[in-house]
Amino acid sequence: MKNLKSLNLVIASITAAALMTFAPIPGAGQEKQKGGKGKGGPPGGEQYGPYYAAPVTAGQPVGKTPDGQPDMQGFWTPRFNQAIFEIQDHPKAQPGIGPGKGAIVDPADGRIPYKPEAAAKANDLLTKQIYLEPEAHCFVSGVPHAAYQQFGYQIVQPAGYVLFLTEYAHTYRAIPTDGRPHISSNIKLFRGDSVGKWEGGTLVIDTTNQNGKTWFDMAGNFTTQAIHVVERITPVDTNNISYEAVVDDATTYTQPWKIAGQIGRHPDKNMELMEFACVEGNQDLIHYTEGVGGKAKEKGPLTR
Amino acid sequence: MRFHNAVICSLMVVAPLVAQTYRAPRTAEGKPDLQGIWQVMNTAAVNLEDHIAILDMPAGRSVIVDPPDGKIPYRPEAAQQQKENFKNRAKADLLNQCYIPGVPRVMYLPFPLQIVQTPKYVLVASEFAHTLRMIYMDGSKHPGDVDFWIGDSRGHWEGETLVVDVANLNPETWFDRSGNFHSDALHIVERFTRTEPDLLTYEARIEDSKTFTRPWTIRMLLYRHREPNAKLLEYECNVYLEDAAKESR
Repeated sequence: MKNLKSLNLVIASITAAALMTFAPIPGAGQEKQKGGKGKGGPPGGEQYGPYYAAPVTAGQPVGKTPDGQPDMQGFWTPRFNQAIFEIQDHPKAQPGIGPGKGAIVDPADGRIPYKPEAAAKANDLLTKQIYLEPEAHCFVSGVPHAAYQQFGYQIVQPAGYVLFLTEYAHTYRAIPTDGRPHISSNIKLFRGDSVGKWEGGTLVIDTTNQNGKTWFDMAGNFTTQAIHVVERITPVDTNNISYEAVVDDATTYTQPWKIAGQIGRHPDKNMELMEFACVEGNQDLIHYTEGVGGKAKEKGPLTR
Repeated sequence: MRFHNAVICSLMVVAPLVAQTYRAPRTAEGKPDLQGIWQVMNTAAVNLEDHIAILDMPAGRSVIVDPPDGKIPYRPEAAQQQKENFKNRAKADLLNQCYIPGVPRVMYLPFPLQIVQTPKYVLVASEFAHTLRMIYMDGSKHPGDVDFWIGDSRGHWEGETLVVDVANLNPETWFDRSGNFHSDALHIVERFTRTEPDLLTYEARIEDSKTFTRPWTIRMLLYRHREPNAKLLEYECNVYLEDAAKESR
């Protein structure tokens, strides 16, 4: 293991020098440029700052792709309050998470309508097992988390598909819009299985088959294999997309619940996706071992 | 055996001529349509050169078509390094730690990959660790002094063939599981040609004067997945690595 460790350190430093940033970075913008040597430091305080969000700018009427889909292609940043940190309204600070608003619009209290045992589990994860936070381990995020993913995403629409290319972990989400059915429920995936269809100007994405190993945020709000997510994505104009998603799992929640947010076009016309190489020299678990009272050092898998 | 090799070599030389007789269907903007789910059916991921089987690594033929001996033209000191790499491959091969495989290795891993096209991009999405290659088709140039695990790919069309220039490659990746490697001077020119409806001929010219005495070329076939329910699933490598580490405690 010693060799492995030193190799990782070497790789980590190479990666850090070239392009690696920590996730999350306090107050960091995502104004990365090709050739940039930006390096995020470890979290300095108890509270994370906001992520970059494109300014709200009115656009032109939405155009069409060659196969007639409303055209959403380009680079986008999400505006979902502080849902990246916690999807629920969280007026009280938690270790590593400052107070803020989430993205839940139903129920009206902005909280996930957990059944008692599920609420206890979420609380246990937040207060005792935060080192399990999936993104700290470079796990791919599920749905709807991918919609308010840190650093935003690029949308590409080849014939018959809508693709979301996320900079985080250099990954993608491919949604066929050809009317095909879901894959067998025997197969569970981090990203789940998504099928889409256009209902007028709205892309409706139905996602099942998630594997229950992801969280909605960094605060212990876990997903289950049973969740059924229906996202409704509506381009309002060329610069603005309206987003909502309903999450349902009758075994975990007392009622279906809904999140909503806005997605704004990135103003940089020369934007290109960079490579957020996550596994390659991951330092993120340090967040839970230094300064925030985490237990990763003692209990977390693969802590270095 | 020598005769056999000669026959294979001549077939490989003939292949591009065959390619020109097939005209691929076109996308809406009139470019050859390479879209679909593809996968190799070879052992290049084990070793690009001719190789016999060892435990858990099947035997296979070289995919190197130039030089004609099917061997990587290493400089002497680099040949020595490759032998060291092979010995230390369990730890030294970063793919075993689930790192992004680099180019060209991602193209011949034993995982399906999906190609999609728009006027501005050709995207290659591999099932391996959700790895994404973005090939820019807008005439733009490579960025300056920065490297990426997956490199930087800029392409253009030459008739039936997608030609991709790949630079800005991280020096830490390998070509295969046998320790075949390169330096930070690596530069690759790939050629993708749909030579039959369900076959994609993939070629990569590999140049790295710090490591090799001359440029060399690999060529192989990608086969279309024709199962009606074919769809990319996922191979979340780092997750399984963590699971294995936990189990072994």
